[in-house]
Amino acid sequence: MTSVDLALAGISLGAIAALSGIGLLVTYRTNGVLNLAQGGIATLVAYVFREMVVEWSLPKWLAAVIALAVVSPGIGLLLERFVFRPLARRRASAAESLVASLGVLVLILGIVAGIWGLGSRSDAPNIFPNSSVRLFGETRIGIDALAELLMVVVFTIIIGLIAARTAFGRQIRAVVDDRQLAELSGVPADRVAAAGWAAGTTMAGLTGVLLAPRFQLTPYGLTLLVLETFAVVVAARLASMPVAVLTALGIAILQSELKQFTLHGDAGQILTVLQSNLFIVALLVLLLAVPKLRELGSGDSGATASFSSRGAPPSGRVSGVRFRQDYLGKLGGFALLLAPLTFAPADLRSAFMVPALGLIFLSMVIVTGYSGQLSLGVAGFAGLGALLSLKLANGNLFGLPAIPGIWSMFLGALLVAPVGLVTGYPAIRRRGLTLALTTFAVGAVVSRFVFEQPTFANGLYLDPLKLFGWELSEKAYYVFELVCLGIGLLVVRNLHHGRLGRALLAVRDDSSGAAAVGVDVRNLKLLAFTVSAAVAGLGGALLVHSSYSFSPDDFAPLQSLLWFTAVVVFGADSAAGAIMAAAFIVTIDVLAPAGSSTLAIGILALALGWMPGGLASAVRGMLRLFAQHLADSFVDPNQRAPRPVPVRISAGGHLPATTGITGASGIPGGGATLGAARAGHYSQWPLGAQRAAPSSDPRLTPFGADLVSVVQQYAASRQRAVIRQPAAHSQEGTR
Amino acid sequence: MSRGVLQAVGLVRRYGGLTAVDHVDLVAPPGMITGLIGPNGAGKSTLFSLLTGVEQPDEGQVMLGTTDITTMRPDIRSRRGLVQTFQVPSLFPTLTVADNLLVGAENRRRDYAGGLLGLSAQGRGRISRSAERVLERLGLAPKGPVIQIVEEVLDSLGLSDVRDTIAGTLPTGALRLVEFARALCAQPDILLLDEPASGLDAAETAKLSELLRRTAADGVGILIVDHDVDLVFSVVDQVYAMVGGRVVAAGDPETVRNDPTVRSVYLAQAPLAAAGQSGEGR
Repeated sequence: MTSVDLALAGISLGAIAALSGIGLLVTYRTNGVLNLAQGGIATLVAYVFREMVVEWSLPKWLAAVIALAVVSPGIGLLLERFVFRPLARRRASAAESLVASLGVLVLILGIVAGIWGLGSRSDAPNIFPNSSVRLFGETRIGIDALAELLMVVVFTIIIGLIAARTAFGRQIRAVVDDRQLAELSGVPADRVAAAGWAAGTTMAGLTGVLLAPRFQLTPYGLTLLVLETFAVVVAARLASMPVAVLTALGIAILQSELKQFTLHGDAGQILTVLQSNLFIVALLVLLLAVPKLRELGSGDSGATASFSSRGAPPSGRVSGVRFRQDYLGKLGGFALLLAPLTFAPADLRSAFMVPALGLIFLSMVIVTGYSGQLSLGVAGFAGLGALLSLKLANGNLFGLPAIPGIWSMFLGALLVAPVGLVTGYPAIRRRGLTLALTTFAVGAVVSRFVFEQPTFANGLYLDPLKLFGWELSEKAYYVFELVCLGIGLLVVRNLHHGRLGRALLAVRDDSSGAAAVGVDVRNLKLLAFTVSAAVAGLGGALLVHSSYSFSPDDFAPLQSLLWFTAVVVFGADSAAGAIMAAAFIVTIDVLAPAGSSTLAIGILALALGWMPGGLASAVRGMLRLFAQHLADSFVDPNQRAPRPVPVRISAGGHLPATTGITGASGIPGGGATLGAARAGHYSQWPLGAQRAAPSSDPRLTPFGADLVSVVQQYAASRQRAVIRQPAAHSQEGTR
Repeated sequence: MSRGVLQAVGLVRRYGGLTAVDHVDLVAPPGMITGLIGPNGAGKSTLFSLLTGVEQPDEGQVMLGTTDITTMRPDIRSRRGLVQTFQVPSLFPTLTVADNLLVGAENRRRDYAGGLLGLSAQGRGRISRSAERVLERLGLAPKGPVIQIVEEVLDSLGLSDVRDTIAGTLPTGALRLVEFARALCAQPDILLLDEPASGLDAAETAKLSELLRRTAADGVGILIVDHDVDLVFSVVDQVYAMVGGRVVAAGDPETVRNDPTVRSVYLAQAPLAAAGQSGEGR
């Protein structure tokens, strides 16, 4: 049963989705970047267009020309020049480009929310007149649908011709295959890339301007709509433009046709959701069905080692001093986490969010940082944890009896684990882009079909938490949260240490190499996803209790993208980084207007180009340089132990080529050496697990000698205990 | 010692209309070095992937000892004693050399649950002696022998100096050696080496062939696929020569070298007669 009228009504949306798909494909085929920021750019341009028409009262045609011919391509050119060209120059991995585009998305969302607020606007102007023409009989089609369809056809043909028939098309393929090589053969690679970006963002702008009047204009809503059109490019396997266009029209028309049916009961509810969410369902189904996307380049986008640069904790012969220092740092961090207990009640309530978010971020450290899988669906797991624990506490989950609040949280989190396991299955064979999109789609589907459904998410109430009959005060709740965070940290620690940790890192660094020596890659990936889901679920449960209500917005699919970016920025493989990221976001959200934390994370994400390991790795590197500097000013350079030569060969192409902050062996640049650090007093510094050669008394620099004598005089004058010689100290440190 | 023989029985692999591997039979016994040579496109790499489990054959079987491993995943094969190295060394660039080797040594077991509960070998240092003994009884504390294997391999390959170096910072020659060491740590019955000499200079190649002989003398079977005919003929006990997806000659190096088909294929490429000596130039 098909209805022509409904089909025609669907055409307009289909054409817009097709335009979005064309834009994505153009950017991808010219630059090898799947532009996750497409939705953000569309939203930004839509807001700019509305601003010009509604607030500044410019004529519509002028506003459209400015928005689409100046602003949109301008964004593309800026992005190419300042974000993606530097990445392409240093042959960044596809994973890094993906994260960069996420950073752009987050940044743009922050800008939009900062300027126009998070509220929705329903007065977005329509470019085309609101009239229709008669096709045949009583059947009419809107001018807008006709115009949009025309644009799709024209663009497809033009782009197809350029790609197939012109020298420019050949240049594009050359640049995408090997940018450096293409440049050596005289192809203006930068110009080709810039043209691709400008075309892609213009399409994005067009998508936004056309979509806005059909829906309400909200920063997150419109962005998500555009992200859903990724279904189209997945169907096209990232390659074929006609397939993308046909899929877009097909899904939209099907979705429109669904409107003629009504069902009752649960099926009816599912149908209602499908009627407006077919794209997201199609995205998930297509991702599971399409065996392999035709990714450009080596398709190494699963190599997240590039933004998690740290290896395993040293396996042997770590000095006791190092452990002491480690514990000192941990104690300090713990003390900081206790500080909110002294806050005023309102501030304490804000601080509730920190351990909860921290747990969610830790779950991403497990999946992305340690086992190297790109996962963009964490909000789904967190939300499920929240929802399940609430339902358990309310006693309306599968007829189970009500479980006291605290235990319901743990049980709810455990119930999320199987969901993680199921999500992990696609991850066995998928990596990089495909996996990222799949996990995103899972999160989005869960959000639409569960969190936003009244059957599941309404009528939930939060009881005060009780532990053995004692009602938890706010301070006690915060302490409870810290205990949960501690459990999460313990899990993370166990996943990072010993045989299990090494095996996980091996999978992250090189999964085929890991399989070659018997590492059970499959089960380890599943394990990472399962554990991570449970940890995220616990975080979600805590988050709900922190904000006193369950709101689907807290676990919207875009949250996952924002959270993921935050974790990468603060160091994807750093547990401390995850907690700092949580504290950072909460603090900014409390102190600054809405959207500020998003903006800040976006800016930091774009800075990732200069610090590939995230903030955590940058801090680690700075500490080392500082230690070196100290050592150099203490110990005579001529006394240095032979320097370990930092030859930086990128094995398998994973290691970032820019910074050498990769571990214990050496630090590139600067004349300083670790040898110096080891030879002297600072052999206690956590630099490496190398056996310090039994160092004879190091000869000190004049400055060092002066300092030592001053200290000795001071000690003598106070008649205190004897100051030990540095060398003696260092011997004691190493076992 | 009952080590497994690696055996390919009637292996066939087709890509569309092209038959890349056409009814190939091959036997790599333990304690011997077997070579697999052939010009580009002869199907060597495809055969290699069939043996390692990266690809599945359309027909035929791969046997390890008496077990049919045709459909097993690479990691399972590896745990059963069939360990490979890659054309491009595939180390774990963020781990130290010792940790790379440990990964190899540790993964003949699959249970990771102990680690999740914090019962990792790492944690052993922090628990008391008696608890340690209990863990050893339960089979949860394999640290002793594992670390011993790693130290032995490090010593015997002269890698002790780079023990704690991050693998990603090593030059190519060293990477090959570390990858080989990692494979040894997995205690293989059969080692599959894909072009182990590519990227090595003459001295390193000579060192490699010495190493291969030593390993084989320990009872490990080795299968080498390499373009470097010199290396292959200088170390192997038996050779298989492939052309167009088929094995055209097999047997001891002398027989294969004098085989008319092999000669005609290689005539344009390398003077085989001199091969025996040049591999051991130093």
